[in-house]
Amino acid sequence: MATLSPAVSDQRPRPGMAKPPIAALVLCLLGHLALVAFLLAWWREETAAPFAYRLLLGLAVAVGGIGVGGIARHLARHQLDPVRAFVPALLTLLFGLLALEAVLRAYAVPPGLWPTPSAVFARLWTARRVLLADAWQTFVLEAVVGFGIGVGWALPTALLVARCPFLQRGFMPYAAAFASIPIPAMAPVAVHMFGLGWPSKAAVVAVTVYFPVVVNSVRGLLEVDRNLLDLMRSYAADERTTFWRVRIPNALPFLFTALKLGTALAMIGAIVGEFFGATGQGLGFRIQIEAGRFGFDMVWAAILVASLLGIAWFGLIAGLERRFTGWHVSLRE
Amino acid sequence: MRHSRLAAWGPLLVVAAVAMAIYLPLVVVANYPLAARTLARGATLPCDSALACTFFLRNPVLPAPNQLLGGILALSWPPGAPYALPLNAWWTAIETVVGLSLAATVGFLFAVLLVLSRAFQLSVLPWIVASQTVPIVALAPMLVVLLGRYGVQGWLPKAIIAAYIAFFPITIGLAKGLQSPDRLALDLMKTWNATTFQVFMRLRIPASLPFLFTALKVSTAAALIGAIVGEMSTISFAGLGKMLSENARASDVVGTWVLMLACALLGILLIAVVDLVERLVTPWRR
Repeated sequence: MATLSPAVSDQRPRPGMAKPPIAALVLCLLGHLALVAFLLAWWREETAAPFAYRLLLGLAVAVGGIGVGGIARHLARHQLDPVRAFVPALLTLLFGLLALEAVLRAYAVPPGLWPTPSAVFARLWTARRVLLADAWQTFVLEAVVGFGIGVGWALPTALLVARCPFLQRGFMPYAAAFASIPIPAMAPVAVHMFGLGWPSKAAVVAVTVYFPVVVNSVRGLLEVDRNLLDLMRSYAADERTTFWRVRIPNALPFLFTALKLGTALAMIGAIVGEFFGATGQGLGFRIQIEAGRFGFDMVWAAILVASLLGIAWFGLIAGLERRFTGWHVSLRE
Repeated sequence: MRHSRLAAWGPLLVVAAVAMAIYLPLVVVANYPLAARTLARGATLPCDSALACTFFLRNPVLPAPNQLLGGILALSWPPGAPYALPLNAWWTAIETVVGLSLAATVGFLFAVLLVLSRAFQLSVLPWIVASQTVPIVALAPMLVVLLGRYGVQGWLPKAIIAAYIAFFPITIGLAKGLQSPDRLALDLMKTWNATTFQVFMRLRIPASLPFLFTALKVSTAAALIGAIVGEMSTISFAGLGKMLSENARASDVVGTWVLMLACALLGILLIAVVDLVERLVTPWRR
């Protein structure tokens, strides 16, 4: 998780570990226990909790929050390995979910307005078949296939443009302009051309992925250090050797940046594309239909599935990036 | 001067001409079967051969350039009409710009917290970064319904969705920007006994502006998507998203193409505006 938290904070950690923050740990534990106790006591109730309960709940949230913050502040003062650096984030998530669940139950917020986290997880389990079929449609058939087609077209285009200065001046401005077409504007056109099934959404995804990959790859192929080109010249290397030994490796980091951006764009394209017409399947279709009839537990479950798939895909590309461009400055420790 | 301008425009025009030269036969090929069928059914069309009719179909597979031009004219005049592109594009632009400003304001507060407190960074930053890979636009239909329940209606919920989408890249960009002054500059401020507030005002905030604008340019397109999806997911009375969903329901093919072009133009214009503001605000960069 170290890659997920680039160091932006100003405070410099000190090496070594001081004595554990007993007070913060106790407060954190107290807060969590109080929340769990309340949830156990109020699990089956449908009505809002009495005032005294809600007061205690507020106290528990405050105490637990201070405790979690204290632990984070304690850990922040030290040099951390990646696992321990992730503890505050994990604690925050756990505490946040518990507090949300407790507050929603204490005020008896109707599930049509804001479902409790437990309702979302329960829906995730009970609707797993539907959601898996949706994920297959949206993620595999639309996002991944579209991404593959888009990248498959983009790479030859980039190679062609990089070889041909005329196209650099004649094509690249259009590519940059096309990259700024909002995805939802393309979806109705694609749905009309390719029908309601998954190919129309794959087409939208392919077009949205195509332009950033072309633009970035061309930049990577062209923005090569002059010294390296001169060095290759002094080796009397021919065009092709220079291309394979200098230009391609130079383009890889640019390409991977575009691919990582492309995973997010592909998920957005597939989901938004389904808002304009689908065959009764797909995460975007599910989200739109269920939001329209206030089935927000299903909406959140679908969003959760889409997010997990998106993060896993992004992680896969980031892993490939580390594997293939590990020599690059940005990845060296 | 004239020569260099020609050198810049020449390739663009040639590529446009080639694209046109490919597009016209494509229109004929794509529309020919439909045109033949429509003629055989005896529909009244302003043409007599199937070949000529490929340019005049009511619902073509690919709209012909003359139809696109006609569609643009029909949808832009008068500019203030409720069905006209300029008025609707204006509302979508307002939503996007308000959303971006909102995102920049909240993002700035978060960025300052991130820079000042490592505890906050450890607790929150992983989720901010992870959420960048989440298709946040999926939240739009839900947010619109939810905000509507609390009485937030009109253009504001769309601006909030746009802000929500633009928020994460802007926050990360600003945090990096606030962090960008090098050690020496910070040490110099220290030797002058500057307070944290002064360091922010004199050093960190000016240093973060280029990062802010880079992030803004990235997130303008995303915010526009958010505004459009927001308009689609609820009852709207203005905006390109409203026009899109109306057109998709009516399946007016020429209209959807014209709208796509209009959305693209709006996206390009908004990014150009951000670029212009950047030049005005950070003149020392040029």
